Amino acid sequence: MLAALAWRNLWRRKIRTWLSVASMAFATALLVFMLSFQLGSYATMKANALRLFEGFARIEPAGYTDDPDVRRMIADPEAAAAAARKVPGVSAAAPRAAAYVILANGERSYGAALDGVDPAREPRVSTLSATIRQGRYLKEGDDDAIVLGDALARDLGLKLGDRVTVLGSAADQTVAADSLRLVGVFHTGLGDVDRQVAEMPLARFQDTFAMYGAANVVVLGGESLGEVTRALPAVRAALGDKSLKVQDWGALMPGLKQAITLDFSTSMFWYASLVVVVAFIILNTLIMSALERTREFGMLLALGMRAEKIAGMMWLEMLFLAVMGAGAGIAVGGAATLWFEGHGIAIAGLEGLMAQWGLPGRIYPTLSAVSALSGPLAIVASVALGGLIPYGRVRALKPVAAMRAA
Amino acid sequence: MPSEAPIVSCRGLKKRYRTGAVETVALNGVDLDIAPGDFATLAGPSGSGKTTLLNLIGGLDTPSEGEVVVDGVRLGELGKNALTDLRLRKIGFVFQAYNLIPVLSAVENVEFILQLQGVAPAERRARATAALKEVGLEGMEDRRPGFLSGGQQQRVAVARALVSRPSIVLADEPTANLDSKTAGELIDLMARLNAEAGASFLISTHDARVIARSRRHIELTDGRVTSDSAAAREPA
Repeated sequence: MLAALAWRNLWRRKIRTWLSVASMAFATALLVFMLSFQLGSYATMKANALRLFEGFARIEPAGYTDDPDVRRMIADPEAAAAAARKVPGVSAAAPRAAAYVILANGERSYGAALDGVDPAREPRVSTLSATIRQGRYLKEGDDDAIVLGDALARDLGLKLGDRVTVLGSAADQTVAADSLRLVGVFHTGLGDVDRQVAEMPLARFQDTFAMYGAANVVVLGGESLGEVTRALPAVRAALGDKSLKVQDWGALMPGLKQAITLDFSTSMFWYASLVVVVAFIILNTLIMSALERTREFGMLLALGMRAEKIAGMMWLEMLFLAVMGAGAGIAVGGAATLWFEGHGIAIAGLEGLMAQWGLPGRIYPTLSAVSALSGPLAIVASVALGGLIPYGRVRALKPVAAMRAA
Repeated sequence: MPSEAPIVSCRGLKKRYRTGAVETVALNGVDLDIAPGDFATLAGPSGSGKTTLLNLIGGLDTPSEGEVVVDGVRLGELGKNALTDLRLRKIGFVFQAYNLIPVLSAVENVEFILQLQGVAPAERRARATAALKEVGLEGMEDRRPGFLSGGQQQRVAVARALVSRPSIVLADEPTANLDSKTAGELIDLMARLNAEAGASFLISTHDARVIARSRRHIELTDGRVTSDSAAAREPA
């Protein structure tokens, strides 16, 4: 009956109850949508940044992240790739070799990060091939081909069909030298990549750098970053060579991870503020109600209802209010999020910039259990906690004085 | 025949209120016993201390001096929760303003007390329905207070006060808000329930008809018992 009494009490002031529910629903919907938007944009940022070049995760020799030396090799990259591909969530695994080299054209020479990639598998872990602006990307059967960032090609004074000289240090510490033909120029919009990165066929790279079928990393891809990240423990377990390390996206792009963490922390402050404001609005309703009903509480005390039961009844009233508001907010915020999840949100001025990077011009919020429930739960928890405040007031009431209250 | 132990016993009861520097004496040494089955009225001019006395007997307030014993329990020795529990189990209240819970139906208002006592749902519904029948409200069980007349509401309040079979019912001006016909019916009802159920009643009132129906009349003046018909009937 306590719950029934609390529920009916809630509707003694219908307008006030509806206003409270509406304000909670609005704030909750806002929290659900904003959190979904934010998490969705992080997911887009991570996925696109990682898809461009780094991949969602990678297998590498111990110490390679700190010291990416061409001599730190995976002796049997195909075995590692095959083991990783068997893990659910990982749908692509592409071996890569990498070295820092000098690229030269006549008298011009520049340092570059040269990657040997499998032209057939690489597009499944990297979107670099989609950023080709001149010529074409590497293809199966290519031997002496190379693709460069547009800034690097410009610095070297190269045009399609020109040959470029590669000079580097091979895995056996001899000089690695080769002459490759420029078949494509890409433009990612990321200055460092366009100025420093070059790709050539893996097989030719392995010959040139005396790697004998080895690679430096195996890049992993999948349907989504989340799926791949969740699969990583299984990938670790599946690898035969236990000296190999599996690095997640945070290790591959620590700067991005830190930026997201910082941005999220700042946002959390605002979300927490919103939760506190809403909690205070609801508490204000509660305290007003407690003041108005002092006489009634005095009567209940006189009849033999203990103060803690009266406070419990008020607490239940608050909880019902909070759950109704949060429920409505989840429904409205969730529906709005789902709609925009399908249609995306175009932000003026951002489309051109993102298109330049080969990224989608719209941001897609992502509704998840975290984005749908964490804000509403925080509000309900705050209200439930704050609802304990009137307990002290009810406890201090004296029946006679309370019944004389106006 | 030996006399029964009183249901309520007040000894040397004093109650003083202080407002700033002004002290008001509401009760000034009241000695009073209410016997089992008493149907007593408490009258006196406004400010004579009637409501204060009922509040002290009901454990709603604490005396400045003196002692109240209800059904063998010294109220001064009880803590807040124990006092609340005593009110729940041993005392029934009927207020001038009815004080029903507006969001509960008539039967739920009566059941409410039994629920606080932990009575099982089926039993409490049966007892509440029977109590409403006793006060003549059969068929009105599901009406909320807003849909009942003043007299009907006060009957619900009487049913609520009696449903838990208390040792004593304290009624503070129960007919003050009722028209004379309804007031008369209510008094008849309380007198009948007193006779049938044996519950003691102590009714504070100005109403001459209520006083006329009582078996015992107590007059309170300036915080003192100035006459008590029970004392007058005692053999010399």
